[in-house]
Amino acid sequence: MLRPEEMTRAVIVGSARNLDATIECLYDLGVLHLIDFTEQDEEFMLGQPLAGASDASQKLLKLRAMIRTLNIDEHKPVGQIPVQELRDKLTQALATLDLNTSSKAEDRQRIQSLMRERESEIKSLEPFRQFGIPVEDFDGYDNVSSFVGICKTAPGPALSSRLSMMELFEEVRKPDVAVAVFVRNDDRSEVSRILAEHGFQEVKLPRLKGDPGEIIERLTKEIEKLNADLQRIETDLDAIRKKFADFIIASEEDLAIEVLKAETPLKIAASANSFVIDGWVPSSRLADIKTALGDLTDGHVFVDTVEAHKEEEPPVKLKNPGAVKPFEFLINLVSTPKYEEIDPTLILFITFPLFFGFMIGDLGFGLALAALGAFIRAKFRSSEDLSRLGTIILLGGIVAAIFGIFVFAEAFGIPFHPPEESPDEYTWQTVVDIPVHPMLDKMHDIQEMLAISLVAGWLHLSVGFIFGFVNNFHHNRKHSYGKVAWLVLLLGLFAQLMAIAGNSTATSAFINDTVLFWMPGSTIDVMGIGVLVPALAMILGAVTLLPFTEGALALTEVIGLFTNLVSYARLAALSVGKGAMALAFNSMLLPLVFDSGNILIAIGGALALIVSQLFFVFFLGALSSGIQAVRLNFVEFFLKFFEGGGTDFNPLKYERKHSVATK
Amino acid sequence: MALDPETAVGAGLALIGAGLAIGIAGLGTGVAQAQIGAAAVGATAENPKMFGRGMILMVLPETIVILGFVVAFLLLGAT
Repeated sequence: MLRPEEMTRAVIVGSARNLDATIECLYDLGVLHLIDFTEQDEEFMLGQPLAGASDASQKLLKLRAMIRTLNIDEHKPVGQIPVQELRDKLTQALATLDLNTSSKAEDRQRIQSLMRERESEIKSLEPFRQFGIPVEDFDGYDNVSSFVGICKTAPGPALSSRLSMMELFEEVRKPDVAVAVFVRNDDRSEVSRILAEHGFQEVKLPRLKGDPGEIIERLTKEIEKLNADLQRIETDLDAIRKKFADFIIASEEDLAIEVLKAETPLKIAASANSFVIDGWVPSSRLADIKTALGDLTDGHVFVDTVEAHKEEEPPVKLKNPGAVKPFEFLINLVSTPKYEEIDPTLILFITFPLFFGFMIGDLGFGLALAALGAFIRAKFRSSEDLSRLGTIILLGGIVAAIFGIFVFAEAFGIPFHPPEESPDEYTWQTVVDIPVHPMLDKMHDIQEMLAISLVAGWLHLSVGFIFGFVNNFHHNRKHSYGKVAWLVLLLGLFAQLMAIAGNSTATSAFINDTVLFWMPGSTIDVMGIGVLVPALAMILGAVTLLPFTEGALALTEVIGLFTNLVSYARLAALSVGKGAMALAFNSMLLPLVFDSGNILIAIGGALALIVSQLFFVFFLGALSSGIQAVRLNFVEFFLKFFEGGGTDFNPLKYERKHSVATK
Repeated sequence: MALDPETAVGAGLALIGAGLAIGIAGLGTGVAQAQIGAAAVGATAENPKMFGRGMILMVLPETIVILGFVVAFLLLGAT
């Protein structure tokens, strides 16, 4: 929590004949983040691929070609095939499969291209079949020019008014007109101009002989025959697919893993008789590597730790307990934290559901969201990101439901009991009497909610500055004192805002009496606003310190800090906005359902109510609340301390989905 | 919200002011976000890792409308 997994720089050294076993072992453990070897010299060069690498890659290429031909890249095999079985059968299967599929694939391609050719011939002949002219007679004259094609509008009248000698064939079809015009060569350009005005497009006729109608009939029959051939090939391919798809996919996976392992030496240093593997290992797993490699090679491979140079940054593997882990998804959306940085996942785990829950604040919608989250989690178990998102929504939904019961006392935008201000409102009281009364009413306690938002903002931002202080403490002391100045400035601003609110809200009264009780309450009057003297002193003091710690430019961000704090008003704003929207739909549509007395209107009203609540309040509300809860963390909070840009911990390992390793 | 005939005009003007404050601030945010959003989506399409940074830039102008909201709220309190 708050810190990523501690990493140790490990160097693994051994004699060349143990390289295979070492690589195998490292992949099985999956804890070494390899550092690519780059500084070659006379002694140490990049290693050579393990034996069998090129053979495996060739087979892999063949299999991938087959996967494309058979179109099974989306195929999901049922169950897993033992590796031994795959390897035993592979050579034989490849030979048979290659012979069958590649010839079939070629045939298929040939037939498909023939069919396309025939179809395009039919398409170009079709418009002219009614003219009764043999295909070879459409062109090829010495003194006569022919125009054959499609016009948008009939060019007949225009042509006959201009030309004395011509032969015109016209066939009006639904959207266009098929045209064949034969004219003297002298009139060629004139005709071409007139036709262009009618949107003429030339059609190139195929070099065939005979009546177009008969040709089309013949071609159609040919296509039918080709299609039958194609079907036969597809059936054969289907049979291959059914029989071998599982095998091919599983073999592809196994071979890909083989190649991955076999090519690993290309990233490590090797001399004639030895190898050196350099990388990062989680400190807690170092002993595992040592024992495993020691046992495997009878102590012929050594694992040693080295002091890392300062500029070499270890890879980052976030370390959070199970419940917090899903929130790493949100961190990854921004960037991986640096190794030295605080990992803010825990704060997201706390603040996201609280912010989200406060903004939704409704028992009904909260439970619905929790159900949606649980559904996403269960449905997309295989996708890590989606199942994490599901968990986040689930937690947010649960907190929203809790806020809905105990704080706002409402479900689906309908309060449990009528608020004092509007006793006629529809409530759950008519259905069931829930003995909880609201602490806050979204429509009538806006000031209170704003005050709560500001307190949340103050706490959240303060944590951000404290993190910033810790992050900078070791490598930039001055900068870290700057964070203290910001923290004081923030407290001054907050105290001033609370002083303005005074006793008008219970929250500000509580804060003034308990958290800020030590602050003298003396005020001076500036432009009609009572300015709290200690708050002013803190603000001025911090502003004076800022140029010395953070640089003069930081002064421009003082206003920014105020807007950051006020930015948390969105918590109240969204909650109120959503509440108002739900109330509006309810007060428009509920009377239709219950008071209209007409069953049809009641059903229509109920449908409209469900649709409007579902889309406008539930989906839009959840979406905007989610985005805003994330935003407050990403923008207001993260910008106080978070730099990111760390390297993800990416150890040597592989995952078998369709194949099972055998001893 | 007092609607005393003597102060009703002033209160009405304040309410109009509140509406203008949040409305125009919202427009300003919209104009700014439209351009940033288009650029951010473009950047994310080219490199999905830009999503987080794009989102941060995208939501920066929202502060404008929040300030509008606060001003509107203060004006409502003044009526």
